[in-house]
Amino acid sequence: MIQQKLRSPFAVRNFIRRLFDRSFLANGYKAAASLGVSKLAPTRDERLFLVLSIFIGVISGLLVVSFNIAIEWIKILTLGSAPHAGQYRLIFVPALGGIVAAVLVYFFPGSRGSGVNQTKAALYVYNGYISFRTVIGKFIISSIAIGTGHSLGPEDPSLQIGAGVASIIARKFGMSRQRLRVFAPIGAAAGLAAAFNAPISAILFVIEEVIGQWSAAVLGSIVLAAISSVVVERRFLGAAPIFSIPTVTFRNTRELFAYAVLGIFGGLFAVVFSRALGYLRMRLRALPRWTQFAQPATAGLLVGLIGYFGFYQVMGRGYGSIDQAMHGEFAWKFLLALAVLKLVATTLSYSSGTPGGMFAPTLFIGAMLGAGVGSFEKIFFPHLTGTVGSYALVGMGVLFAGFLRVPLTSVFMVLEVGGNYGIIVPVILANTIAYLIARSLQPVPIFEMFARQDGLELPSLEEQREETPLHIEDALEPLSVPIVQGREAISAASAAVAATRAHALLVQIHDGTWYAMTADELTGAAAALAPETPIEQALKPDRLPTLFPDLPLDNALPFFPRWPVIPIVNRASRGTLEGIVTLNAILKRYQSE
Amino acid sequence: MAVFELRTPLSPEERAEKRKLILRDAVALATILVVTIVLAVLTYLLFTSFTHHREVLAQRWKANGERAMRLRKPANAVQALRSALDYAPERRDIEIELAMALAADNRPLEATAYFNSLLETQPGNGLIHLQLARLAARDNKPAEAEEHYQRALDGTWEGDGYVRRREVRLELSRYLISQKDYPRAQAELRTAAGNAPKDPGLQLHIAGLMEQAQDPADALAIYRDQARLRSAPLEAFEGAGRTAYALGHITVAREALLRAIRHRGFSDQPDSEQNPIRQMFANSNRILDLYPDPDLTVRTRAGRIQYNAKTARARLTTCLANPNAAVKLAPLQTQWQQLPRLTIGALERNPQLEQTTMALVYSTEKQTAQDCGVPTGDDAILLKLAQAPQAVQD
Repeated sequence: MIQQKLRSPFAVRNFIRRLFDRSFLANGYKAAASLGVSKLAPTRDERLFLVLSIFIGVISGLLVVSFNIAIEWIKILTLGSAPHAGQYRLIFVPALGGIVAAVLVYFFPGSRGSGVNQTKAALYVYNGYISFRTVIGKFIISSIAIGTGHSLGPEDPSLQIGAGVASIIARKFGMSRQRLRVFAPIGAAAGLAAAFNAPISAILFVIEEVIGQWSAAVLGSIVLAAISSVVVERRFLGAAPIFSIPTVTFRNTRELFAYAVLGIFGGLFAVVFSRALGYLRMRLRALPRWTQFAQPATAGLLVGLIGYFGFYQVMGRGYGSIDQAMHGEFAWKFLLALAVLKLVATTLSYSSGTPGGMFAPTLFIGAMLGAGVGSFEKIFFPHLTGTVGSYALVGMGVLFAGFLRVPLTSVFMVLEVGGNYGIIVPVILANTIAYLIARSLQPVPIFEMFARQDGLELPSLEEQREETPLHIEDALEPLSVPIVQGREAISAASAAVAATRAHALLVQIHDGTWYAMTADELTGAAAALAPETPIEQALKPDRLPTLFPDLPLDNALPFFPRWPVIPIVNRASRGTLEGIVTLNAILKRYQSE
Repeated sequence: MAVFELRTPLSPEERAEKRKLILRDAVALATILVVTIVLAVLTYLLFTSFTHHREVLAQRWKANGERAMRLRKPANAVQALRSALDYAPERRDIEIELAMALAADNRPLEATAYFNSLLETQPGNGLIHLQLARLAARDNKPAEAEEHYQRALDGTWEGDGYVRRREVRLELSRYLISQKDYPRAQAELRTAAGNAPKDPGLQLHIAGLMEQAQDPADALAIYRDQARLRSAPLEAFEGAGRTAYALGHITVAREALLRAIRHRGFSDQPDSEQNPIRQMFANSNRILDLYPDPDLTVRTRAGRIQYNAKTARARLTTCLANPNAAVKLAPLQTQWQQLPRLTIGALERNPQLEQTTMALVYSTEKQTAQDCGVPTGDDAILLKLAQAPQAVQD
């Protein structure tokens, strides 16, 4: 029966889809959902949220450990335990890996790409949905691709694997759609933290790149998941950073010139890298569909040739070569050659659609560039530079800031991986320069560019940085309505309105709250009550919201159908009015933007 | 009361559904716990197997690297040890071996950077300091080299630290000798000799270094100790003869050199090593033939003094032919002219004349050696005698 079903690739694909789409828990939450879980157990989601965050962290950590072992084992089995230039297997193994990856991608289409945009899309487009099949596909295909020497990294796939785990768990617990969306970044942080062995950087990256906004609502869970996954990862792989960091020093302020030069080079490299990837990926995707099976193999062949002809360091993750560069084991010309060739190899591997990440290649290029600049300066300006390792470490952050456009993560990543706050000044300087150069020459960040190529418009912090948010003070108007005290008589209030011909008045009540009364409402009260009645007695029970000038402008909008004007008070003295806002003023302010 | 009024009471159906929901959550949590445990066990098994595999690979590549180092192929060793480190990144011993291979492969910058980073994690490691000392020595940075040598002496060592420290001290001594810092080299060698066991090979090695450090007296003491052994090695006699001769202890030198020449291993040595010893022995004999030993009979001693005076005067006369030297040697000539006629009888009768004459002989040989070039024949013998006339019979 199964054999009959598997007659064609399409049948196999559908079979796999059905297999993985079956849940391991029955859809028992449907009934509860129909009755309204929030009514049956209003605090359930909140309580489960933190418990599940820990489970997500632990499971993500375990999967990332297995993922890294799988990559390493595949590398040993296919490329040998000590690959070096001149081995024929360096040419054909990545090509074969590309063929296998291309075939598997057909059955696991969700596993294409690095994983960052896919996670982001799950968050913003697919209600936090990442299928089990995608997780399995990402695990298998990425490990094959990276293990066989494609110039890609395991961090972004780890991020997606973690997000996938979170999504599956959240679905199985019948979480609300809103909660389901929030789970994906929690898992993403856990996966990335385990891959990087650097929880702070992972958390910041997820906030900067995946969520795209600062959200206090999920921060606690993200931290919990990231820490849990790192604890698991360290239990297996040890607490040492992923790189063997040499002595990192910053001795002389004159060195800042050298770091500034590194920042400039890093920014330019980031632009070249972004443009090369954007161009080639778009061109390759425009080719006929059947070529997509051949593209990973061709990329593998070309990457293999680079390795065969003396630069095997560019193959795979390249962590070992980063260590060597940090310890000053390469000459500066060789380092720059490695930086350029890694850029080429990664552009080929990634653009061909082979699943795998760009973190490791970015770090590799940055480290080579940094060590290259450091070595060059050490030769020609021996009194100016510190250790080559310092430059390599800063170089990694520089490319991270310039290429991935995550300036905050880039700084913390260097500090967390390097374990030394002594170089914070050079890191900030070089990263800022690289970031500004990259941003001015290549306004669209790389992940946003990929998303647009895929027909998606995803939010990002970079986008927010471009925006200038409006505040209430931007629509603030001088007081144009009369103010009366709550104890004053209705007749006095009517006289004040009549005198100013205002359409409303503000009533300050004895407890310090405010009420905005329309002229019609006042007329009604005057007709119904005696003229000497205090106006307080004519007010409805609700009160005006307390708003301050520095709050976002849209905070005022929800109150307008109810209130004609809203008084804006001083934060230091609530009795002091800064002015008022009206619906018209707000709309005009938005229209003028 | 108001608080309770906020919540709508659940219907019986809803209550049943809530119980089911709690049950389902409990089952789901239990399931996820089981899944986590199963996954943890699988990961552990995978990790254990992988770790073992890595250890095997690390050991294999480490052995390859060490073999390459033994075969003096440092480039191959670097590659092999790097591979070993890929599979055992925490192994400090492999890191040190890699750094040593880098140094051997004439890549001092890389090796120094590597050792410095290793030093960060093991600041008191003697082996790392020793390697850094060697690199600094190779880079002609004596202050840095000596500092690292000293820290290597004070540092920690795996295995027999006592032996390793002694080796470091001897290496430091060799380095100081190469830097011509003889006083410090002598001090280090004295310490090494004081702590060294009575191993003849080691003792002779130290004595040899003492000779190089221009400390023949201490070297002679060691050589003589070794020469007293029952089956004393040839090197002990040769060394004792050489150092005694250098110190002017000609009687001791002659005896040691004679024993060296009579040693059964002596004839097995190449001529280039035999000849200096034979020459030194011949010189010693001749010195003793010319030396006016106070124990000799008065006539014999007077005869030797008369002969030595004749030899020195002849040398002076030859030198005076050189106009440049003549001016400097004029005072000597005057002194010679002021001496009475040196007959055997006059010398026998006048012990003061004996001493004055021999003092003038020694002055003449020393002065002419400076102004007229290196003497030969008996003049050379007398010059040697002039350097330490009192030590001949010590």
